[in-house]
Amino acid sequence: MSIDARPAMRSTGVGTSPRRLGIFARRRTANASAVRARATAGERVLKWGPLAALALLCMFFAWRAERFATVDNLKNVLDQSAVLSIATVGITFVLLLGAIDLSMEGIMSACVMVGALLVMNSRNANDWGLFAVIPVVLVGAAFGLANGLITTRLKVPSFMTTVGMSAVGLGVAQLLFDGDQPRVLDRPLRAWAIGRVFGFTRATLVAVVCIAIGVVIQRHTRLGRYATAIGSAEDIVALSGVNVRRYKALAFALAGAFYSIAAVLLFLKQGTGNDELAVNVNFAAITAAVVGGTLLSGGQGGVLQSIVGVLIVKVLENGLLLLDVQPALQRAVQGVIVVGAVVAATWPLRHRLRVVK
Amino acid sequence: MHSRTMKRLTAGMLLVTMTLAACGSDDGGDAATPSSAASTSAAPATDAPATTGGSETTTAGGDDTTAPAGDACAPEDVVLIGQVRDETNPYEKSWLDGGDEFAASVGLEQKRLTYGDDSTKEQDQIKQELSSGNTSCYVLNILPNTEGDTKPIADAAKEAGAFLVTQWNKPADLAVEDYDRWASHISYDGVESGKLIAETMFHAMGGEGGIVALQGGLATTAAKDRFAGLQEALAANPGIELLDEQTANWSQAEALTVLQTLITKHGDKIKGVWTANDGMALGAMEALDAAGMSDVAVVGIDAVPEAVTAVADGRMTATVSSDGPWQGGVGLAIGYCAAIGEIDIASLTADNRAFYANQTLITADNAADFATPSVDLTEFDCANVFNRVSGPLG
Amino acid sequence: MSAAVPALRLEGISKRFGAVQAITDMTFEVRRHEVVGLLGENGAGKSTLLKILVGLVEPDTGTMYRDGQQVRFRTVTAAADAGIGMVYQEQSLVPSLTVAENILLGCEGHGVNAGVFRWRKLRELAQAQLDKIGSNIPVRAVTSQLTFPQRQMVEIAKVLSIEERTAFDPVVLLDEPTSVLDGPDVAVLFEQIERLRERASVVLVSHRIEEVMAVADRIYVLRNGVVAAERRPTETTTDELRHLMIGREDTGSHFHAERQADCADTPRLEIVGLSSAHFHDVNITLRKGEVVGLAGVQGSGREELCRAIFGALKVDAGEIILDGEKVKARSPRGAVQVGIGYLPAERRTEGMIGTMSVAENMSLATVGTVCRGPVLDREREKRVVDDWIERLRIRTPSGSVPMRQLSGGNQQKVVLARWLMSGDLKVLLLDHPTRGLDVGAKSEVYALVRDLAANGVSLLVLCDGLDETIALGHRVIVMRDGEVSAEFAAVRDAKPRPDKIMEHML
Repeated sequence: MSIDARPAMRSTGVGTSPRRLGIFARRRTANASAVRARATAGERVLKWGPLAALALLCMFFAWRAERFATVDNLKNVLDQSAVLSIATVGITFVLLLGAIDLSMEGIMSACVMVGALLVMNSRNANDWGLFAVIPVVLVGAAFGLANGLITTRLKVPSFMTTVGMSAVGLGVAQLLFDGDQPRVLDRPLRAWAIGRVFGFTRATLVAVVCIAIGVVIQRHTRLGRYATAIGSAEDIVALSGVNVRRYKALAFALAGAFYSIAAVLLFLKQGTGNDELAVNVNFAAITAAVVGGTLLSGGQGGVLQSIVGVLIVKVLENGLLLLDVQPALQRAVQGVIVVGAVVAATWPLRHRLRVVK
Repeated sequence: MHSRTMKRLTAGMLLVTMTLAACGSDDGGDAATPSSAASTSAAPATDAPATTGGSETTTAGGDDTTAPAGDACAPEDVVLIGQVRDETNPYEKSWLDGGDEFAASVGLEQKRLTYGDDSTKEQDQIKQELSSGNTSCYVLNILPNTEGDTKPIADAAKEAGAFLVTQWNKPADLAVEDYDRWASHISYDGVESGKLIAETMFHAMGGEGGIVALQGGLATTAAKDRFAGLQEALAANPGIELLDEQTANWSQAEALTVLQTLITKHGDKIKGVWTANDGMALGAMEALDAAGMSDVAVVGIDAVPEAVTAVADGRMTATVSSDGPWQGGVGLAIGYCAAIGEIDIASLTADNRAFYANQTLITADNAADFATPSVDLTEFDCANVFNRVSGPLG
Repeated sequence: MSAAVPALRLEGISKRFGAVQAITDMTFEVRRHEVVGLLGENGAGKSTLLKILVGLVEPDTGTMYRDGQQVRFRTVTAAADAGIGMVYQEQSLVPSLTVAENILLGCEGHGVNAGVFRWRKLRELAQAQLDKIGSNIPVRAVTSQLTFPQRQMVEIAKVLSIEERTAFDPVVLLDEPTSVLDGPDVAVLFEQIERLRERASVVLVSHRIEEVMAVADRIYVLRNGVVAAERRPTETTTDELRHLMIGREDTGSHFHAERQADCADTPRLEIVGLSSAHFHDVNITLRKGEVVGLAGVQGSGREELCRAIFGALKVDAGEIILDGEKVKARSPRGAVQVGIGYLPAERRTEGMIGTMSVAENMSLATVGTVCRGPVLDREREKRVVDDWIERLRIRTPSGSVPMRQLSGGNQQKVVLARWLMSGDLKVLLLDHPTRGLDVGAKSEVYALVRDLAANGVSLLVLCDGLDETIALGHRVIVMRDGEVSAEFAAVRDAKPRPDKIMEHML
């Protein structure tokens, strides 16, 4: 309806002063300039802390590990971060909701097997080439959508839904695996993961594109903005007439789609389809997201924060390996640093989080 | 595999921030056996079975008077049961297939059981099987899920009077001799596996150069034993330098990443990559491939199909097989022979009650023979079942 | 359409929730460009009525008319399409979104194209809403960074955005909009209501009778699910309205002023030179049995002072002396041990554990007194708890009922009982003790305050309204910008005038 359609009485009575306000009749207009001042120190730490931590880590390793600060090694780190980055972009949307997704390994395993069996491989006569990406992404998105629908429609906590879905995905992967790894024979296709452009692997570039897409979705689309809003105040969003369940389900589906892209890179990189390739990716992704400032409580952080987390995790892995730290000790050091980073990142918010269970 | 995944996921959810510290122990659970292993043949063409520890004198003849005839089962009354974790694992599938072949050769059928990494389920299945009818002619060839599962299984078999053979997992303080119908426990010496492939690799390298080692999950016995084998081989080969040792947690994907970094670190000095299982070997090969280092020797353990193919193609130097089909057949065979009175358990030597079996080294020379799993049925004759004994457990 | 047709009319509305008849045969009308006040105790049916109006709840019987046409709202969206929107008591803005997004949340219109935001357009649309109320809050600001009153303005703008989706003049429901505002902010809000009147009809729900009197054209008083009275402000008095709401005779003694006991002259709690990031060099002395009302606007530092005394907030300098002895341990635990209690304003999140029972909540701070050795003595706990339930007339079936099932007033009494149970309570800090309570429950809390003071407990009280502060206190201390700006004696029959106090607050 246009504003013109309304009755003309709009203009009457302008200037009516507050009547009978008695003791309340003092004015204090909302001061716009005061608004900015309220970004607390805590919020700033959450925003910039992880990036500062990453910079410190890099500086430390550059100082202590002689090969760390070489162009080749840094390109390697980026290459090694590619798969995890894309998967983490996906899970970020679920974490923004305040939900959790533990189905990443299952979905990625299923996608790895579907993809590896559709491209030119040692098991069958398929040769879909790049077109194999389409069904793989559909499989990933379908798994994610199933997560979302079960969580929202049947009101099952996402924790349970996704654990179950992970088992389904792994089951599908094992059925397809059937004891025989398909080797990927399509060399040109594999170049999408291991080929190099300006010295960077193409996987790195694919990851950068995925991250960019993730950022755009998070910042400029309904899905992304609503996911953040739902994560910080679901009931309010629902009261505003938003179909919360739909956007939740879509966020899970989007996550599944990102996992599937990660899965494609994974099997192209490895050159085989194996149902165990994606083991441990789920934790690494959640860890990275949280370290980067995308908290499990929802509504906080975002794609770029999560990616900073991925880089922290991967730089740490790489640096410790180069430092000649004992393998057993590396794990412990990684654990300590990750816990430390999370504590530091959430410290300023501890009042808001109130109770940690 | 589901339940392990679920457990891992659940634990991980609670310890999200500890992920990196925790993942070292994840794959440890099944690491006492190859994590995803071989389809192999028993190398029928060769006279492979080494007889280092095998002893003719330990096999009891058919007319042995120490076996009371009244106790022996009629061959057609024997019930054969094989139990492994998961048939999607090619190695474990080939194990059950070997059991089928043996069963067919004596005119019986093997009951195939799988418990999917779930210890409770494994125990329940066995109790279920042993709860009905006359179980004194039952023969069980079992892969216990963990060391902790072996004793309850042995106890259940003892109570039911069933014949039992176990493989891979057994606590050191659990003595087979304490059970009258637990015929044998078969395992493989990880030290020997690690050493065999190391020596083969050193030979391929011409006895000198730098190598890196990718270990399995550090907390597992298998990882430690296999690495100890490498160290033994290194001690005997002063020309070989161990540049770096890292863990890749039995994981193909992790091996790629780790080796990628090691290549940055050591560059062309790397002439060989020793890995504690074939999965990591495959990952390592991809990293070498991406770096354009095609002349580096890579070895692994377990003889997974793809590794066997790679060995046959000359892309990989060697792997080691425990021979799943033989394991599946021989376990039933030992129990069957005992049930029909061909073997007297009480008179078996310690070497035959609990022993390491020979392993088969797979190189370019014999890889083609391992392309399709098969068994040599003569190895399952009651007189031959202990031919592959390489030594006592230790 | 004739102006005589009411904007909204409800006829014979009834609604039952299980065993509870929330509303019975209610008839209610909002005329065009009218501000209707809605008064009633908790449980009188106010919230049910609002929920029906806004489409959250469907009535069992009765009919609704919008500009004379019969309507039925099954969803919030349906009500919004008919131009009815609500400004919720618990604010309904998403803190992490920008002002623009919040205003248009769920109905972005041309601000979103194929799921992708067109920020410039979105901001224009939001700005148009803010312009309606003459607000200069920046549309790009993130909502969590706004002050509470600013957020309320955004919320009003958000409700007004329903104008664009309907041909009706909007009806704006304001649910307790002033309950968390201080004096000056209330004035701003009421100016806004005057502005709203020009383009919309307003239903104002408030606990504060004076405010409703000041701003409404007509007032409905609800009691027990029926309209107890309909009045014009000019024809009634606050006392009559209070009487109508409560249905009891003792409305004149709402604050129990006659029970204000004289306090001793011995100092109990001395705050000497206390400073922190939020306040500076505060010196206050509480005498034994004295009630001190602490007045101040948002940002005056009075809440923080309260928390600092309790040890829940770090201080940079200064001392707290209790009965002549310096309080050393600066932590809530230390404070409890020396006899200082604190009743937080955020009852639901800080004051109680909703899922635990009344008894458990009550004995939380004093578990020691109901323990035998390390073991909780359930029998003894039950006796003590039952005793307090009776003494405070807490309406609960038993002590084992989960806390969240109680009404706000009864919850507050349980939280109070927690402190009263410890026999050696010396000082009690009450941070907005009556927030969200209905008139009856408030009155009971006031009575408790009087009793405590008469028994020698010293109380520092922060209230929402000045009237409360003045009525309760023996003294009123005013804080401004983190410093004590004035002090007024407020003994019985010689209470200071609110406007005098107000001067020192701003």
